[in-house]
Amino acid sequence: MDFLINLTPHLVNGIALGLLFALIALGFMLIVGVMEVINLAHGSLFALGGYFAMMIIGVEPGWFGPLGDWYVGLPAGARYSFALVLGPIAVGLVGMLLELCLRGTYGKDPLFGLLLTFGAAMVIEELIRIGWGSGEQFLQTPPAISGAFIWNGLIWSTYRFFAAGFSVAAIILVWLFLERTPYGAIIKAGAHDSEMVRALGINLSQLRLYVFAFGVALAALAGIIMAPIWGLRPHVGVDAVIPAFLIIVLGGVGSFVGAVIAGVLVGLTVGITGAYASEWSLMSMYLLLIVVITFRARGLFGKKSMLEN
Amino acid sequence: MSIQQAGLSKKTGPMHRAIIGIAAAMLGAYVAQVSVAAAGTGPIVIGITSDASGQYANSGASDRRGMKMAIAEFNAKGGVLGRKIEFIHIDTETTPATGSRVAERLISRDKVSFMIGAVSSGVANAISQVAQKNGVIYLNTNSSSPTESGKNCHRVKFVWDGNGANFAQAAVSNAIDSYGTKWQLVTNDYVWGHNTASATKALVEKAGGKIIGEILVPQGTRDFSSILLKIQQDKPQVVAAAVGGDDQKALRQQVAQLGMGQNPAWINNQQDWPDVYGLPTDNLFGVFGTTWYYKLDLPGVIDFVARYQNMYPDTKMKVPGNVFYNGYMATHSLLSAIEAAGTTNNHAVIKQLEQLKVSAADRMQHHDAFMNPKTHQMQQTVYLATANVGSSDKDDMFKIVSNSAPMKVADAKAEATCNLESFADTPVYEP
Repeated sequence: MDFLINLTPHLVNGIALGLLFALIALGFMLIVGVMEVINLAHGSLFALGGYFAMMIIGVEPGWFGPLGDWYVGLPAGARYSFALVLGPIAVGLVGMLLELCLRGTYGKDPLFGLLLTFGAAMVIEELIRIGWGSGEQFLQTPPAISGAFIWNGLIWSTYRFFAAGFSVAAIILVWLFLERTPYGAIIKAGAHDSEMVRALGINLSQLRLYVFAFGVALAALAGIIMAPIWGLRPHVGVDAVIPAFLIIVLGGVGSFVGAVIAGVLVGLTVGITGAYASEWSLMSMYLLLIVVITFRARGLFGKKSMLEN
Repeated sequence: MSIQQAGLSKKTGPMHRAIIGIAAAMLGAYVAQVSVAAAGTGPIVIGITSDASGQYANSGASDRRGMKMAIAEFNAKGGVLGRKIEFIHIDTETTPATGSRVAERLISRDKVSFMIGAVSSGVANAISQVAQKNGVIYLNTNSSSPTESGKNCHRVKFVWDGNGANFAQAAVSNAIDSYGTKWQLVTNDYVWGHNTASATKALVEKAGGKIIGEILVPQGTRDFSSILLKIQQDKPQVVAAAVGGDDQKALRQQVAQLGMGQNPAWINNQQDWPDVYGLPTDNLFGVFGTTWYYKLDLPGVIDFVARYQNMYPDTKMKVPGNVFYNGYMATHSLLSAIEAAGTTNNHAVIKQLEQLKVSAADRMQHHDAFMNPKTHQMQQTVYLATANVGSSDKDDMFKIVSNSAPMKVADAKAEATCNLESFADTPVYEP
């Protein structure tokens, strides 16, 4: 009984952590699923989101004339909300530039896209280093979501629960967008049969541009949400891209539900091993992947391959 | 005429003579170069083996700045033994295997005279094995595992940072008196973490404390929520953390979010300046160790800070920290030892370094420092500090609470476990 009582906080914590992992993987999954591009720059764009947000929140009086002064006078919560909206948009624009560079690689060996995004990751990381320095930075959060509360005799971080709740909201909104809007239907159709979509008169190049920007904006959103937890440094993206890749393989490439469930599973695994066998906490997610892939090569919710018939 | 005959006839032609002439000129140039090198009149080339990527990239950059400032200052006064000092840097990537590869390359291909630089103890150990095999003097500037001057010591290696055992000596008995006897260890799962935790455990138990558990933290951990929940469930009075680099940054941020910085009490073995510079002071919790601080009220400190700011006006880190200081002091001491020895012969320079004594004034510390000839670790002042809460100067983040003389914090275990190779077993190297 004592064991169960002790375990409960770790289950709650694991689910919260898993939702954060799912948010990190969401943009990566969208780009792989729809465009069949493994975007290795996902992590650097994740980091860039955090840096842009820090800049947006930290605007100083006099930077942008009267408008800037008005902005500086806003409460911290309002500036943080601006950062949550403007940060991903700004990174989405960077993503559009990257997609234009990627166009030459479509239809060729996937290695070209892989190498290009790998190169982009290094360039973005170096630009961050030039722009903001290589030291640790800090993303200020509003007082309403900072601090801690006591529940069940333990101290919990308010921000962590805000971040988990925000992840749920973001996941639901993206799902509604993909499943309940005509734009989502076009995106899914583009992933399923791009030639047919083109034959119907839809501009496929434009579709790819927007999908890539959307996926990258989600990476930036995850970067802003994770910055107060993981900290902000130029290479923080490496910490995001590896679990993101692992989660989409575990959930099944291209599966939205699979990515969310795999994220939660990884969070639970890492959270529980972190408490009871902490030296295995990082390794545990790879072991989970090995177990799942051994019995189900296409991941938890991946579509059946022709080769498996 | 046969082909062979044609060939023979060409051998005596003008083209053949030209080829022989060029070859002879190249051979002559090579011989001249070799004799110059043998005579030791070319530049002294230092191989900088510091991390530019990975967990300790930021500290590696600070370490390098320290070395470069010492080199620039010596070059400004004419170099050493009339020879200019040059350097080559290769990224060791915070990875031991890369460290070995870099050291091999610097010695065999770049023919460096000396090697300097380390933040990760695993990398330092890997480099020093290669250095010892070749007889190249290597300075471990900033890695602080007790094993670096203990069981992994080498005749060619000199260690300049305080180690985990030194910092634990300074902190443990005071913390038991002030906070309690029930301790929990949070340990980075690699060589520095394990050895520091082991030293802390021995000191806690010797002082009458009890270790109720040890939580191992894999390198690369970014989420400490489950570990912090576990600490709350275990209810220690003191947490002794030996967590470094980016892991420590994430840990600190998450402890601050929970407001757990005061209860339990935290003893953070060592706090490297590049890891905390620019952060809010509530991220600096507990008591931590350092070897130097830019606000020490000692002669020479203000001038040293001014020289740093003059040389690095565009660096985001506006004031130097302990990592820069160690990089500078190590390089400065090596170049001074070469001057004193009057040669770059490794055996002669090693003997100079083994008897190195530096006054407190020259070290800008509170006590005289000296090189322990049995372990090759610099014995120096160790400071304990806390966050300087309420400071109006955002750079003035530390509040120094105590300083300990080198002998008070000496690592006795290192002397017992270090077994330096003999000079006969150390290849002669005279760059």
